[in-house]
Amino acid sequence: MTTLNSTIFNPTDLVLELEQATIEQAWSQSSNSGSAASRWQSYLNQLALDVFLPWLQTEEDATATVGFSPTTQADIWQVINGTAIAIKDAKLVLIPSEADDISELRIPQEWVDLPEWTADYYLAVQVNVDAGYIRIWGYTTQQKLKNEGEFSYGDRTYSLTDEQLITDIDALWIARELCPDEVTQAAVAPIPELASAQAESLIERLGSQSQLLPRLAVPFPTWAALIKNPQWCRQLAANRRGSSLKTPVLQWFKQGMASLNQEFGWRKIEMTLSAEGAKGVVAASATAVPTFGLAKKLAIANQAYELKILPLEEVGSWRFELCCINPGCMIPPGFKLRLLTEDLQTFEGNEDVARSAEEHLAIEVDLEPGESLVWQIEPTPDHYQQEVLQF
Amino acid sequence: MLPRQDTVEIFSTFIQFDYDRFGRWATDSRLRRSMRQSLRKISGENSANFWSLYWHKIWQEQPQDLAREHLIAYLQEVCFWSATKTINGFSSSQYTVSDCFQIAIARIDKVLKGFDRDRGFNLKSYASITFGNLIRELLRQKKEIDICSDWSLLRKLSQKRMTEALVNAGLDQETVKQYILAWNCLKTIYVPEKANSTRKLAKPDRETWQGITNLYHQECQTQLGQSTETVNCESLERWMLICVKAVRSYLFPTVSSINQPKPGYESGEIVDSIMGEVNDSLLTDMIAGEEAKHRSQQQQDINQFLTATIKQLKPEEQKLLELYYSLGLKQAEIAEELNTQQYTISRKLAKARKILLKSLAQWSQSTMHISLTSDILENISALLEEWLAGYYSSN
Repeated sequence: MTTLNSTIFNPTDLVLELEQATIEQAWSQSSNSGSAASRWQSYLNQLALDVFLPWLQTEEDATATVGFSPTTQADIWQVINGTAIAIKDAKLVLIPSEADDISELRIPQEWVDLPEWTADYYLAVQVNVDAGYIRIWGYTTQQKLKNEGEFSYGDRTYSLTDEQLITDIDALWIARELCPDEVTQAAVAPIPELASAQAESLIERLGSQSQLLPRLAVPFPTWAALIKNPQWCRQLAANRRGSSLKTPVLQWFKQGMASLNQEFGWRKIEMTLSAEGAKGVVAASATAVPTFGLAKKLAIANQAYELKILPLEEVGSWRFELCCINPGCMIPPGFKLRLLTEDLQTFEGNEDVARSAEEHLAIEVDLEPGESLVWQIEPTPDHYQQEVLQF
Repeated sequence: MLPRQDTVEIFSTFIQFDYDRFGRWATDSRLRRSMRQSLRKISGENSANFWSLYWHKIWQEQPQDLAREHLIAYLQEVCFWSATKTINGFSSSQYTVSDCFQIAIARIDKVLKGFDRDRGFNLKSYASITFGNLIRELLRQKKEIDICSDWSLLRKLSQKRMTEALVNAGLDQETVKQYILAWNCLKTIYVPEKANSTRKLAKPDRETWQGITNLYHQECQTQLGQSTETVNCESLERWMLICVKAVRSYLFPTVSSINQPKPGYESGEIVDSIMGEVNDSLLTDMIAGEEAKHRSQQQQDINQFLTATIKQLKPEEQKLLELYYSLGLKQAEIAEELNTQQYTISRKLAKARKILLKSLAQWSQSTMHISLTSDILENISALLEEWLAGYYSSN
């Protein structure tokens, strides 16, 4: 990127370039968020993770991995800034920020005072998406944060100034090698457990999107006890995302669609006409399986397409199909239809690619009731919004 | 510019600019008297390096005292050359050497705090590297700030910087707290809607302002424990514009007084008695020389060790270090010089530097019996930077 090339950084900064593809991917991954602020937070964290982790694995520690499962981490980003990474015998937390002046590192209290989450090292990450880079410009230890950091009661953060941070990131890797026993953590008090009834009422209250800063809405120990439990954190994030963000596909098939047979851009289609050419698609007379399909109109590069969900003969088997709407039009080579699990993981046979111009792309899957899928198409359709299809 | 030779002058005069050029050396008579008085105490010790270490030691005990001003005077040439060298690296900068000089010298505390007298070689080479980094970073920040719309700018600041700017603009503590909270509310509600367009955010619409105001009212209760009936959308918008203005004028102050002789002192109307006393015991200690001898031995050892270690690097890595530290070339220019990609340059430079840092750390561990920690490694890293700057500028 041009801006990056003409900028000079200090030799002790670690600057990593953001490719356009990385930016697009992180942006689409962050779309499943409850509010614009959560989405932006998820996006910045995702970018930092996507660029820093591969660098770390190649350059310093091949065993480095994410600290939480991707699903849990995504849930955390809905409400708290910061990304956990595990390296050999130590834990890191990335704290991304848009601040360009790199004069302070502010760390949410959760990463410092919640024993299950505390790390050894905290890395200050500047993210500049327009100029296309992230820069790791300093780090500190949990012990130093506890001893020297300034705690702000208002926003529950620990902060250190640039002068208090260690600005040469190489010092960290050399420290792990030459003095792996250096003391990095100060003792923190355990957080008392919550009763599940209390947790449920908190999830309800803090799960509302009108509550913009849930982490500050209840006392810290209560909040910490809630989010340290991945299940509760999951439910909280789901509530905040709004269950309506899930498209209730199975429910529609069972109970029909509520308004005008068109919701979330999906409409009902008759099987006999639309399912032509799809072998094994049930006839309208078959029992126990739905008698209609769903279709959604899409625009990709000024061409109209349709994504269909069609029930197959076997109960719980479904066919996803992408085809052109205009007669005689074909799907160009290179187009991809892809299905992912709800936490955006791939699975076997989840993708169909057009090798040459093709009439349609199709994927068939078997699903248990309650399972969810996310669909993606490459190139990305206009106004694409990530959608969780609930079966 | 005519560099100063006389020890008294070195610690008591300041550069006066004539537009963008060096104009003349201006004397602060209070500093001159202080320096003469100190020199009289010991006849033999005339080296500027000795006195810089002395003042640095005094400064550490009394940061607000004359010592700091002596050190500002001492570092004038270094700062001037750092500014000249760095600004040449920025092709389209609208900033002059004198601007950069003012910015850098105003942040002298960073140099003084970062310098480690026990391990460091000399304050000058440390200051040269620190000033260079500071100016480069500030020019980069200034460029970013200039590209950003007012509303984007608000997202690009740390809370520390925002607070400093508001305090600098003369707002009282209570007001600063309210503005900071309001600013945080704005950042929560008003986020970019596209993956990479954070520089041209437009003014928030009416609905967004309402959202910001609601959040402000709510958080005022929780975070500040205050009620705020009178604050509405209009006042919040006004506050944010005050923030923007404060920030824009804070980074590059138009007038800096730090490099001016203090009024009154020039004419000698303020009596000598308020001057810092010469610290006799400290001087005697330093003269006695155990410490100095030890330090100079240690410096020789480090010097020898690093010189040998550099020679073991690959020729390409040696060349890189030389281009970077001696000529102060941008990585892009080095890439051109070596006919390769800028990206690979920064990686290779970082690798070469890391090899040196690790060797020096191991060497310190085994020969000086230092037990390493992240903080000590940070000191060693600063020492290495200082040494590289000195090594390549003298070679």
